[in-house]
Amino acid sequence: MRIELRVNGDDYRREVEPDLTLLHFLRDVLGLTGTKWGCLTGDCGACTVLVDGEPVVSCLQLACQVRDREVTTVEGLETADGLDEVQAAFVSNGAAQCGFCTPGMIVAVEALLRSNPSPTEAQVRESLSGNLCRCTGYNKIVDAALQAARARLLATDIA
Amino acid sequence: MVDVFVPDTLDEAVGFLGHHAGAAIPIAGGTDVLVDTRTGRSAPEWLVDLSSLPGLGGVELDGEVLRLGALTRIRAVELDPELQRRAVALVEAAKVLGSVQIRTMATVGGNLCHGTPSAEMPPALLVHDAVAEIVGLGGRRSIPLAELFAGPGRTTLGPDELLTSLRARVRASSAGSCYLRQTVRWSMDLAGVGVAASVEVEGTTVTSARVALAAVAPVPLLVGSATETVVGTDLPSEVADEAGRQAAAACSPISDARGTADYRREVVSVLVPRALRIAWLRATGAWPEGVPAPVNGVWTEEDL
Amino acid sequence: MPAGPVGELQVVGHRLPKLDAPQKVTGQIAYADDLRMSGLLEGAILRSPHPHARILSIDVSAAERLPGVRAVIHAGNVEQRRFGYGDDNLPLKGDKVRFIGDEVAAVAAVDEETARRALELIRVDYEVLPAVFDPFEALEDASPSIHDELPGVVGNVAMRWDFDDGDVDAAAARAAAIVEGMYSAPQAAPAPIETHVVIASFSPSGHLTVWSPVHMVFMYRKALADCLGLDWQNITVIQPPVGGSFGGKIDIDSHDFIAVMLARHARRPVRLVMTREEEFIGTRTRQPIHFRLRTGADAEGNLLFRDAEVVSDNGAYNAWGSHAMLVAMSTITSMYRVPNSRIRCAVVYTNKNYGGSVRGFGNPQATFAVEQQMEELADALGMDPMDLRLKNANQSGDVTPQGMKITSCGLSECLRIVREQSGWDQRRGTMRDRHRGLGAAAFIHVGGGARIYGSDGCGAIVKVDDSGQVTLISGSSELGQGSETALAMIVAEEMGVPIGSVQVVNSNTDIKPWDVGVHASRTTFVAGNAARLAAAAARDKLLATAAELLGAPPAELRIRNGMVEVAAEPDRRIDFARAVRRRLLREEGTVVMATAFYDPPTEHQDKEYRGNISAAYGFGAHVAEVEVDPGTGMVRLLNLWTAHDVGRAINPMSCEGQIEGGSAMGAGLALSEELVMFDGQIAAPNFHDYGMPTAVDVPRIVVNLVETVDPLGPFGAKGVGEAGIIPPPAAIANAIADATGIRPRAYPMRPWKVKQWIDSGERSHVVVAKGGLDDG
Repeated sequence: MRIELRVNGDDYRREVEPDLTLLHFLRDVLGLTGTKWGCLTGDCGACTVLVDGEPVVSCLQLACQVRDREVTTVEGLETADGLDEVQAAFVSNGAAQCGFCTPGMIVAVEALLRSNPSPTEAQVRESLSGNLCRCTGYNKIVDAALQAARARLLATDIA
Repeated sequence: MVDVFVPDTLDEAVGFLGHHAGAAIPIAGGTDVLVDTRTGRSAPEWLVDLSSLPGLGGVELDGEVLRLGALTRIRAVELDPELQRRAVALVEAAKVLGSVQIRTMATVGGNLCHGTPSAEMPPALLVHDAVAEIVGLGGRRSIPLAELFAGPGRTTLGPDELLTSLRARVRASSAGSCYLRQTVRWSMDLAGVGVAASVEVEGTTVTSARVALAAVAPVPLLVGSATETVVGTDLPSEVADEAGRQAAAACSPISDARGTADYRREVVSVLVPRALRIAWLRATGAWPEGVPAPVNGVWTEEDL
Repeated sequence: MPAGPVGELQVVGHRLPKLDAPQKVTGQIAYADDLRMSGLLEGAILRSPHPHARILSIDVSAAERLPGVRAVIHAGNVEQRRFGYGDDNLPLKGDKVRFIGDEVAAVAAVDEETARRALELIRVDYEVLPAVFDPFEALEDASPSIHDELPGVVGNVAMRWDFDDGDVDAAAARAAAIVEGMYSAPQAAPAPIETHVVIASFSPSGHLTVWSPVHMVFMYRKALADCLGLDWQNITVIQPPVGGSFGGKIDIDSHDFIAVMLARHARRPVRLVMTREEEFIGTRTRQPIHFRLRTGADAEGNLLFRDAEVVSDNGAYNAWGSHAMLVAMSTITSMYRVPNSRIRCAVVYTNKNYGGSVRGFGNPQATFAVEQQMEELADALGMDPMDLRLKNANQSGDVTPQGMKITSCGLSECLRIVREQSGWDQRRGTMRDRHRGLGAAAFIHVGGGARIYGSDGCGAIVKVDDSGQVTLISGSSELGQGSETALAMIVAEEMGVPIGSVQVVNSNTDIKPWDVGVHASRTTFVAGNAARLAAAAARDKLLATAAELLGAPPAELRIRNGMVEVAAEPDRRIDFARAVRRRLLREEGTVVMATAFYDPPTEHQDKEYRGNISAAYGFGAHVAEVEVDPGTGMVRLLNLWTAHDVGRAINPMSCEGQIEGGSAMGAGLALSEELVMFDGQIAAPNFHDYGMPTAVDVPRIVVNLVETVDPLGPFGAKGVGEAGIIPPPAAIANAIADATGIRPRAYPMRPWKVKQWIDSGERSHVVVAKGGLDDG
């Protein structure tokens, strides 16, 4: 099947097997290995990416189902100035330990902040419940999300 | 390897499914279908991708009638402000289904048609008297939602048939509903027991009520006897408890990793009165609008 | 090396981001499955569908004929030797399979789908044998014998761990109160988000390179050689960044050998990737342990004895899990001052997936029993459980009945902190009407190495190049826990250079010096001391050269923030890199490089299980607050206050991260995590049903770092990696007891179980001894 889609701002046209998942399309066809997998059953969230700005688990999304849509992965978040607010907050708060859940977690936080720019701690926890982390106990991830929200609001205010 | 067919119209989809009866299954959000194909629970030759068919999504209200397109995402149900006022059970059921990611992908129709006994949408829709609208090679038909379910993983749909939408009764006032669950984790879990309840009142007196259960029978279960018990009362706790006992008697749970049959029956008898009481508080205006029920229905006055 | 005077610390003690964090938040870092390699084949393993069966024949001919298949291996066509403790295991089973998931055959093919299809074409004839899943049944005479091929194994007992100290019976006769009961821990999984991935590749000359997330790399290399008949000089083990281990990836497993055998047969590099299902079914678990425990005290609350009968449910083979009693025993004998103790323990084979070394290694299980009995005993004596604990708390200078020498000990302080923060004195026992309760638990765990091998040591090399870049080459491994950053901080502190000048290399056995491996919370302590020693030696070389440049003797110099200065006249200074270049760029120049090997003063336990196994011990205490729904049995963890004696926090942010992560894992053990099994079959080997806590399931965990500054730790630090997971099951059980009056007997305390205990009125079993209590 021939599909066209935009990934991290770049347009791609590729021939894909019809049952290829978006996850494997990103990792094996485009070589974007930043998106991880932990279960392939949608239970861990490590493969979370944005499709048209909405968070999905790319392991349960067929590549052919995202034809003509826009995909954002962890590799697409960096800005011209370097790390974006969420990535920077994950670094400074110690929110990444082994780092394997981190790309999916960061994308999930991005999705949250786009729909809710100043979430409460409970809302952060609720919206990240589809992203398992075995290392951190979530404290520092939640802190990073809250700090990123503040940083982004501040940046918006200044702008 | 599975091939994917992308129909442009509903007729094309139905035609393809009918032509490949047994070898083709529809896929929408994919959150159940792709898990099934990966784990070998199903091995279709064709997936018929419904996800871009026009006209099958959307939440519409016409008086007391809610029309939910089968392709409506669970996330859209969860975030719909009008449903939040009129069909809280549906919103609460949506809120606890999987993760944000899963809810963003999964559809109402998929959740119903996968036939999972523990699924969240069926009981929540059953207590709102949902009717399923179906299209197939033989044309269109409508059935009460309860008649859609045939057993674990099975529906009464023919191989050529698709669920297109649901019609449900959602009153704007003097009505309330609620969805509660017993789970192991407080999030990202399947219901060990799921309970939906709806109540309509005149003043404080119950004029109509529904109780529906998930995960305690081969199919989602509407419990008629529990309903009759509460009509005509102001739903005091002893009446709610009696409805719970009747619901427990009506269900037929199994024992598995999530709990024994006896335990599940007992939990039904606990969650049904809680759900009924919260639905009644909502119907009578005593429960503040916008405040969700706790997952297991345990609340104190401070929470309100 | 003694800690020495710790002056004003420039780097150590600061909250620094992990060195690898920027690469991790951008997706740049490449884990094993992200590696791309020319000619790589995909491997797949055929596993036994039976819990116990004799293999009658294997026919792989159809699989071999499938286009794209490059190797099909089974016990009949490979060279392999036994491995595991007591040599009870084979990578590919030849005679019998002993659990559902046991490895029978394997294929390598051009892609994953072909490999999976090839597996379906392999025909195995089995004679199904009676199986046994319950360790108590396995001990009965009539039980099937799982290792009938091993003459030394009688009655399915893989191992015994018996210990005696003092006179338990005499102590029991003096006791004013004795509590007794059964406490059980389930089969659980380390469940890192990254599954096991191993890649094996032979060079044309026969040199084997293995990419594996294993973290006892040097033992791994030797085990590969021993089992597969390879020359271990010709093996390189490379550890890619690890996506979490928690002990699950510590050791060599059958699939590691299988990857190498496939590569050997296919003459191509082969990658084996565990699916999530295989990760649960076929990689190591935390083995269930059952304790029948009695604890007694006198009327004043002085502990008199502990008496334990323990059955450890080993599963089908001996991996590290068979040794979890090493740690469980130390908790029974040495958590608090216990003058008399007796342990009878059998490690029993069953037809189930077998136990490995999972974070905490037997300690959460033992602490679940020991710390529940502390609160049961306190209640029986009419004492506050915190008072009972404080009265019996271990103190610096103690030597425990097993010969563990307690050097630094912050247990009492930890107890006081969580008591205060949780409002224990005002709130415990007062919230039952709201179904809320508080419960506590403390722990002791090795924190200064653990001598389980000939050496307990770790090597380190520090080199400084002409740019001033400092490289630490450490024998230890980074698993995500932040050890790399902690080691870099130790080096930066010791040398006086900025953290940004230090990098750590630690992933290749060709390069790095020997280390036992990452286990027993030892890395900061052992690898940290090694790094500090090497850094100090490198610094001294630097100072010697700087002395020439500054015209002052080395003893009068110091390095601060990368500048070598005369201590008395800080304006007389040079950049440290200049000293490096001065030393290098001249005739007969030399590089600044130093090596060190630190082997802590630890002792092997003797045959009676006595010996100071670790050079330091970590302590801590947790208080949990729960709300129980008596209707459904659902338990919500509302609060978890923790205080940990970490010696010194090299990087407080990382220490907190370890404790928070461990605590959440402990909360998962307590309330939800279990590999539920029916007839040897894991019912639902997936994340959904396993029950790992989400961000909603755990509250904000409060962490207090107590710094006792251990005399031997680097800058006083002790190990902290495992600690957090140990107390939560016990603390949460005690909190449920406080909320409901029932006494939990097993974890996970899933809703149906809690409901059952509430309905059956499960209570503490208090035995009132002679001279008994007035109020029982």
